[in-house]
Amino acid sequence: MSTLSYKIIAYLGRTPDFTSEVSLQNDGSGDYIKEWNITSEKAKPTDSQLNALASQATALENTAKIDAKRKTEYLSWQEQMEMIYKDQKNGTTTYKDHCDKVRSDNPKE
Amino acid sequence: MSQTKIKAGGFDVDVITGTTALAEAPASTDEFLISDGGVLKRLDASHIGGDNNPSFMVVKTSSQSVTNNSATKVTWDSELKDSDSAFASDKFTVPSGKGGDYYIFATLEADAKNNSDLKISYLKLYKNGSLLQQNVKDYRANQPRRQAQTLVGIHTLSASDYLELYSQIDSDDGDIEVNAYQASDGYGTIFGGFKLIT
Repeated sequence: MSTLSYKIIAYLGRTPDFTSEVSLQNDGSGDYIKEWNITSEKAKPTDSQLNALASQATALENTAKIDAKRKTEYLSWQEQMEMIYKDQKNGTTTYKDHCDKVRSDNPKE
Repeated sequence: MSQTKIKAGGFDVDVITGTTALAEAPASTDEFLISDGGVLKRLDASHIGGDNNPSFMVVKTSSQSVTNNSATKVTWDSELKDSDSAFASDKFTVPSGKGGDYYIFATLEADAKNNSDLKISYLKLYKNGSLLQQNVKDYRANQPRRQAQTLVGIHTLSASDYLELYSQIDSDDGDIEVNAYQASDGYGTIFGGFKLIT
């Protein structure tokens, strides 16, 4: 099930500032919209409007998870630089192969 | 025996040294003599000093998953200190007759569970359901995995005011939690406070 923040991102078509523009809160009984400060851009959505975006929100959330996993598996920039340097020195394709594997291991929907 | 009044010019020191010493803290009903606006009065020791109560400190001993970008009330597992039984249901409520200035402190460990995953972490102190104070750590330029942040402040509270702690975390993949440790590992996420003597 998609989280409320991704439903709102799907509703707005962008990621809002979740401090000043839209505030979400959970007092122990689930997430809800506490403040909606961008009425001039778009009205505060109803629950049914948000629920209608569930599958779109889930896709956004899954993409974010895949991006995060890829970021970790790409390794640090120092390790990537080392691969690139060695490839240039030795004529190998270690860096490209590494990136291809990270992408194929974590395909996007 | 005739009595001699103590006058502004002084008195013999054996008025003090010749009497029995009270070799302990005075009881609350022990009395001092004072001049109250030029009128001699007796004053109970209970009106001098104080004990910094109410005081409380609670800790987390089990981690709490939180939703990405949603300010989530932190739940507490163990009370290390609760002098007036004023902490219940994850909130500290000022008891009747105990309004005043309070020193409040909190430390929270936000864990994104993956390297370079944590973007922003807010530690928020709420009073009566509204934001009172916050500590913000914005790591978007150089993201860590986990971090601890601390909030301290002195706040004037009235009887029945209540304080709660909220955590709002933004991470790359949304898989986040507020960390907790057992006593043997050293508590990581704590919330406490005490009334100042004023």
